Amino acid sequence: MNGRILIALALLALAGALVFAARPHDITADERVDQITAQLRCPVCQGLSVKDSTSETARQMRDLVAQRVREGRTDAEIDAEFRAAYGDWIFLAPPVASWSGLVWLVPIAVIAAGLVLVTGRLRGTGAPPAAEPTSPDVAALRERVAREEAAEG
Amino acid sequence: MILARVVRIAVVVGLLGLVVTLALAFRRDPHDIRTGTVNKPAPAFTLQRLDGSGQVSLADLSGKVVVVNFFASWCLPCTQENPALVRVYERYRSSDVVMLGVNYQESHENGLAYVKRMGIAWTTVADDDGRVALSYGVFGPPETFFIGSDGVIAGRHIGPIDEETLVTAIEKLRGQASSR
Amino acid sequence: MSAADLGAAALRAALFLSLWGTGAAIYAAWRRDVRALHSARIAAGISFGLVVIAALSMMFALATHDFTVLYVAENNARETPLFYSIISLWAALEGSILLWTAILAGATAFIAFRGTLTIPRLATTALAVMFAMLTFFLLLVTTPAADPFARLAVAPENGNGPNALLQNHPLMALHPPLLYLGYVLTSVPFAYAIASLILGEGGDRWLVATRRFALISWGLLGVGIVAGAWWSYAVLGWGGYWAWDPVENAAIMPWLTSTAYLHSVMVEEKRSLLRTWNLALVVATFALTILGTFLTRSGVVNSVHSFSLSAIGPILLGYLVAILVLSVGLLLWRSARLRDAGPIGAPLSREAIFLFQNVLFMAATLTVLLGTLYPLVAEAISGAQLSIGGPYFDRVEVPVALALLFLMGIGPQLPWHGASRATLERQFTAPIVAAAVGALAALVTGTTALPAVLTYALGAFVIATVLQEFARGVRARRTLHGEDGVAAFSNLFRRNGRRYGGYVVHLGIVLIALAVATSQARTVDAERTLAPGDSLQVDGYTVRLEALRPVSEPQRDSIVADLAVTGNGADTQLRPALVQYPNSTAAVGSPGIGAGLRDDVYTILAAYDQRTFSWATIRTRVIPGVSWLWLGGAVVGIGAIIAALPAPRRRVVRMPVAEVAVSAK
Repeated sequence: MNGRILIALALLALAGALVFAARPHDITADERVDQITAQLRCPVCQGLSVKDSTSETARQMRDLVAQRVREGRTDAEIDAEFRAAYGDWIFLAPPVASWSGLVWLVPIAVIAAGLVLVTGRLRGTGAPPAAEPTSPDVAALRERVAREEAAEG
Repeated sequence: MILARVVRIAVVVGLLGLVVTLALAFRRDPHDIRTGTVNKPAPAFTLQRLDGSGQVSLADLSGKVVVVNFFASWCLPCTQENPALVRVYERYRSSDVVMLGVNYQESHENGLAYVKRMGIAWTTVADDDGRVALSYGVFGPPETFFIGSDGVIAGRHIGPIDEETLVTAIEKLRGQASSR
Repeated sequence: MSAADLGAAALRAALFLSLWGTGAAIYAAWRRDVRALHSARIAAGISFGLVVIAALSMMFALATHDFTVLYVAENNARETPLFYSIISLWAALEGSILLWTAILAGATAFIAFRGTLTIPRLATTALAVMFAMLTFFLLLVTTPAADPFARLAVAPENGNGPNALLQNHPLMALHPPLLYLGYVLTSVPFAYAIASLILGEGGDRWLVATRRFALISWGLLGVGIVAGAWWSYAVLGWGGYWAWDPVENAAIMPWLTSTAYLHSVMVEEKRSLLRTWNLALVVATFALTILGTFLTRSGVVNSVHSFSLSAIGPILLGYLVAILVLSVGLLLWRSARLRDAGPIGAPLSREAIFLFQNVLFMAATLTVLLGTLYPLVAEAISGAQLSIGGPYFDRVEVPVALALLFLMGIGPQLPWHGASRATLERQFTAPIVAAAVGALAALVTGTTALPAVLTYALGAFVIATVLQEFARGVRARRTLHGEDGVAAFSNLFRRNGRRYGGYVVHLGIVLIALAVATSQARTVDAERTLAPGDSLQVDGYTVRLEALRPVSEPQRDSIVADLAVTGNGADTQLRPALVQYPNSTAAVGSPGIGAGLRDDVYTILAAYDQRTFSWATIRTRVIPGVSWLWLGGAVVGIGAIIAALPAPRRRVVRMPVAEVAVSAK
C-alpha cells in the first residue's frame, strides 16, 4: 500500500508542477517582440527567423516590430503589415485558418490513422495476461534470465 | 482486409503524389519570389535626400510614372545594372518619368560616394531604418519597382535589370497614362 | 599521367567490373553457381579498390591544386590549407558522389566476401542488388552528370576556393563522411530485404543477417546529425543548432524511420509479427536517403546546403522512382507470403508500445516530409508562395517527441504479451517519483516553460527506468552467477549488449532532449554597440570589448573582436570575427564560443566601424545546457557501439534449483 501512496503523491506533485508551468502569465513587451519575430521569415536568410538572424534586414525588422508593439498595435495588425509587403511567404508557419492550413492536419491524421490500425490488431483488453508467480523477486529474476537467454539466441 | 486494401491504395497514391510533386518542382525557380506588393497602391514614403538637400515624398510625384530602384554600394549586381539605369535615365530625362534611387542599408557618405562615382544624376534618397524597403517587400538590392501614374505598383524586378526590361515596363505605363 | 587521369581510368574500370559483377551475381544466385559467385567476389573486391584509388586521386589533385580539373578549380585555391583541401572531396556535388560511391563499393565488397559465407543464396541475391546500385553510381561519376574528373582545356591561374562556410570549421571533416556512411549503409538491409522478397522467403533471415548493419548505419546517421548540428552551431553564427533546413530534414527522416525499424524489428524477432511492416520500413529508410540526396543536390528547395543546379536532379529522381516501383511492387506481390503469426499483445505489452512508438515515428517522418515539400505542392497547385519552417515543425514535432520520450520510459519496462497490475506497480513506482522530482527540478532551476518542464519530468522518468534496469540486471547476475558488482555490470554489456547498449542510447537521447529543452527555454540575448573598453552585462556575465583588429591570412581576411568574458566563475577570452573569403561577396560571421557544462557564452561580431575601428556591435547569447547535446550525441554513439559489438559465445546458464522449480510451474 505504501507504494500506491507514494505514486499518488508523486503524481500530485507532477500535476502541480505542470499546472504551475502552464498557468497564464503576462508577457513583457520584449517577449511579445520575440514571439512575433520568431514567426517571421528573414528575407535574406536561408529559412531562419527574424528573431534568430543576425542580418541587418532582420535587425531592422525587429526594430519595426518593437516600435509597433510600443505603439500598442495588436499581433494581427503587425502580421497584416508584413503580409501586405511580403505575402504569406513571410510567415514560417502557414496560418491555420487558410487553405494552406491543411498542413496542420497531417500529423493529426497520420496519428489517428495509425492508432486505428494498431488498436485494430491488438488483443482485446479483456483477455487476462498470463498469470504470474506470487513472489515478485523470483518472477523478476526468472523473467530477466529468460529474456537474456532469448535475446542472445 | 478492406483496411489493408485502403492502406495499400493510400501508400501507392501517396508515393505517386510525392513523385509528381518532385517532378513539378523542376519547373520552379526557388529564387523567384512573386508574392508582395505588385498590383497594390505603392506604399507612401518621405525620405531624406542622400546629399542632405531636403526631403522627397512619393505623394509629390503622383500622376507621374515612377521607377524606384533600391541600391547599395556594397551590392555587386547594382554596379552591373547601373549603366542600363544611366542610359534609361538619359532617355526619359525630359519626360514625365521619374527615377528615384533608394539607398539601402548603408551610411549616407558611402551611398553618396557611390552615387558620384557611378554618375547617378537622378534623385537618390536614404532609407536609414529600412522601413521603406520593408513596406515594399524588398529582399535585397538591386530591386526595381514600377509605379504607374495611378499610384499602383505595376511591376517589380528582382536582381540586376537591363535596358530592355526597363524601357518595356516604362513604355507600358506611359501608354496606360496617355490612354486614360 | 596525372592523378586525375588515374582516378578517371580507375572509375571506368570499376564501372566495367561492377557491370560484370551484377551479371555474375545474378547468374550465381539463379543457378547457385559457385564459380560465378567467386567471379562476382573478385569483381567486388577490385572495384572497391579502384574506387578508393579514384577518391585518393581526387584528394591528391586537391592537395596539389591541380586546376586542370574542373572540380579542383571550382572548390580549391592555392591558399586553401592542406587540411581543407583534402576534405574538399565532399565540399561539392561531384566529390560527394565519389565518396558515396566509394562507401557503397566497400559495402558491396563486404557482402561479397563475408555475407555470402553464411547464407549464400540470399546474400548472393543481395550482392546483385548492391552491384546494381553501385553500377548506377559509377555511371553518375563517369558521365557528365557528376564527373569529378572533368577537365578544363585551360587551367586557371588560381581556383575559386571552397565555399566559405565549408572551410571555416574542422567539423567539416567529420560531419559529412559520418552522414554519408550512415546513408550508404542503409542500402545493405535494403538489398537483403529486396533479395528476400525476390526469392519469396517468408522468414526473417534477411533481418537477422543485416541487424548489425541497420544498427551501425542508424548510429552513424545519428552521430552524423548531431555533428552537423554542432557544425551549424559553431559556424552559422546565430546560436542555434537546428533550423529545420530542408537538408537537415532530409537527414532526420531516414534516421526516424530507421529508429522505428530498430524497435519494430524486435517484435518480429520475438513474436514473428510485422513482417511486411519491417520490410516497408527498411525500404522507406533507404528511399528517404535517396530522396534526401535528391533534395540537396537538385536545387528544387532552398537550403544552406544546396549545390548549384545540375543534370543530376532528374537522374536521381529517376533512380528514386525505380527504387520505389521495384520495392513497392515486390512488397505488394509477396505480401501474401508474409503472414504474421497471430495477434499482437494487450495494449500494455511491450509489442503494443513498440507499435504506438512506430505510429509516432511515422507521424514525425511524414510531417517532416510534408512540411519540407508542402511549399512545392502549394505553389504547383495554387501558385501561392509560402514558407514552412521552425515554428511549424516545433509545434508539431515537440508533442510527438514528448510522447516518444514517455513511451521510451514505459516500453522497456513492460513484458511481452501483457502486464499485470503487480508488474506495473513494481516497474513504475520509482520512475513516477523520479518524474515528479524532475518536474520540480525544472521549476527550481528556472526552466518554467511547459514543454521544458514536461521534458525534465519525462527525462527523469526514463533515466529512472534505465537505472532500475541496470540495478536489477546487476542484482540478477550477482544472484545467479555470483559475480561481484563491477563484473556483473560489465557483463551486462558483454553478454547482452543489444539490450543494455540500447539503454545507453536511451540515456543519450534523454541528454539531447534535456539539452534542447533547456537551451530553448532559457537562452538569454543581449546586443550592444561597444567602444573598445566598454562592456555589456548579460545573465551574470560581463563581456568587455578589449580590441578590434584586422587579421590577414593567405586564404582570408578577418576582423576580430577581442572579448574578455568574466562572471559566473568564468574568465575567458573570446574572439568572434567577420571573415572575408575572396570568393564570397558577403563576410561570414565566425562566432566566439565559451563552452561550458552549465551554459555557453556565444558571441557574434554583428557590425563594426569599417573606417576607424572605433566601435563594434556585439551580440551575446547565453545558452544553457547546449553542451549536453554534443555529449548526448557521443553517448548515443557509445550505446550503438555497445549494441553492435558481437557477444562472446554463450555458456549455458545454470539456474539454481529453486528457480528452476519455479519456472517449471
